[in-house]
Amino acid sequence: MIGEVFTWLNDPGHWKDTRFDTGIATQLTAHVRFCAFALLVALIIALPLGLVIGHTGRGRWLIAAANTLRALPTVGVLVLLTVVIAPHFYGRTDTGYLIPTEIVLIVLAIPSILSNTFAGVENVDPAVRDAAEGMGMTGKQVLLKVELPCSLPLIFSGFRSATLQVIATATIASYLPLGGLGRFIYDGLAQQDFPQMIGGGVLVAGLALVADLLLYLVQRYTVSRGLTGRFSKKRIPDARLASVTQAEVAAV
Amino acid sequence: MNRKTLMLAAAAAALSLGLSACGADSSKTSTGASTGSGSAGTTTIASKLIMGGPPEFKTRPDGLPGLKKNYGVVFGKYTVTDTGGPVTVSSLKNGQIDAADLFTTDPSIQANGFVILEDPKSNFAAQNIVPIISKAKATDGVKKILNGIQAKLTTDGLGQLLTKVQNQKQDPDAVAKQWLSDNGLSGTGSSASGVKLTVGSANFPENVILADIYAEALKAQGASIKTTLNIGSREKYYAGLKDGSIDLFAEYTGTILQFIDKNATATSPDDVYAALVKALPSNLIALDKAQAQDSDAIVVTKATADKYSLKTIADLAKTG
Repeated sequence: MIGEVFTWLNDPGHWKDTRFDTGIATQLTAHVRFCAFALLVALIIALPLGLVIGHTGRGRWLIAAANTLRALPTVGVLVLLTVVIAPHFYGRTDTGYLIPTEIVLIVLAIPSILSNTFAGVENVDPAVRDAAEGMGMTGKQVLLKVELPCSLPLIFSGFRSATLQVIATATIASYLPLGGLGRFIYDGLAQQDFPQMIGGGVLVAGLALVADLLLYLVQRYTVSRGLTGRFSKKRIPDARLASVTQAEVAAV
Repeated sequence: MNRKTLMLAAAAAALSLGLSACGADSSKTSTGASTGSGSAGTTTIASKLIMGGPPEFKTRPDGLPGLKKNYGVVFGKYTVTDTGGPVTVSSLKNGQIDAADLFTTDPSIQANGFVILEDPKSNFAAQNIVPIISKAKATDGVKKILNGIQAKLTTDGLGQLLTKVQNQKQDPDAVAKQWLSDNGLSGTGSSASGVKLTVGSANFPENVILADIYAEALKAQGASIKTTLNIGSREKYYAGLKDGSIDLFAEYTGTILQFIDKNATATSPDDVYAALVKALPSNLIALDKAQAQDSDAIVVTKATADKYSLKTIADLAKTG
């Protein structure tokens, strides 16, 4: 079976579009597009909200409310929204199916980004915050120059888990007549073409891993080294070390 | 994660991409034939249309391959919607697709004025409704009652019953009783007295209504009836029919034949029925088939049918 899955993935005919079948390349792009749009919108909504709630301490109930969104059954909401929205769109358009899908994915992504951003800002060391205020920084400066950089590791972990969830869940777009990698999973099951079904699953998992790796790289180069304690070993200034020892020697 | 693992992951990703580029190309053999639309240089009506239906319709013998083989119909595109469900109906209604694979008794066909394209070459196997009953329980009285029902069942009539149950949320049993009295079949008597029967049904509304109709008619004629409705898929209930825990079931000639004999090739109503009578195990018999069918059909909107003057599936292969 593993061999058949590999053969299926390895077949260039499956990567190209044909008359009745959409190839892996196109579906992969479609999948990435669904996910990227949903994550971007979720980030635009949840990041500022989380920063403000964490900074002011007001509106905490919103965090709890957002977390209850996690309990929504995604497929149920998708079908409900489709029944309500899809009949309003006529002609050669899949907007009527695209809107419910994106709403569902955005709702899925918001809670983890929002609650992690909030927790990140909330948990900044009070001494650091006091020091910033003591230096005469305004509230806005404290938030953007101190609290935001300090909470970046938690914000990233929230965004990364949202990304994984969205990439995995975007397969339900294929429950409606939309593309995406879910197409292979649904169609493979219906056609009893199991290599295709598992191949689709492998592609989703692969995409999730690659996305997480990319976000890890972004995180690595954006989070302050003062927080991670990750200093380059090569650039330890030998001269300074030497001068310290010399000073010590002199003192003695 | 250190730099070494990162490099390793990148190398693995590059390798797998490279490998996938040099595998065997299946598209050359599988699609080469379908790229040309119809006869040389001309565009058929079908090639301008988008067909929608379940995923397996692309590969099923009576799906796209069958349409091509029997009628020379090759659609412009195929969109996967769902199996005769709400997504297919709304996509067809709103013009995301032009033709759809729906079931002939689907109430939404009448509700939306969709047109069922005739299938003169029987691409879709006949699916006449037929009662399958255990031989031991099929007394002359029981047979007469059930065959009387079969004579009155029509595809349109069944569609109306489904509308009542599915769209107007009426009780299937009440709908069944109403139908019997409307068709003069509700007379009480004793022609089935002394017979003990268990009537079963699959888990979709149409089959439940049929089971209720059989059950109510037999009850009125003095039979002692037990019903086990909404059993589930054929794999589940067929075992019950075989071992005698269920005595009577409303079946569809084409699918039950295909279920018993995987290699069955009959498609026209009479051929399928004859093959089914032969294929049934010795303890089960098939009563008369009804004119009513619940089969797959290619359905288009009234506007599309008028625009291209479509009556049969064969019309789709014409140039237009």
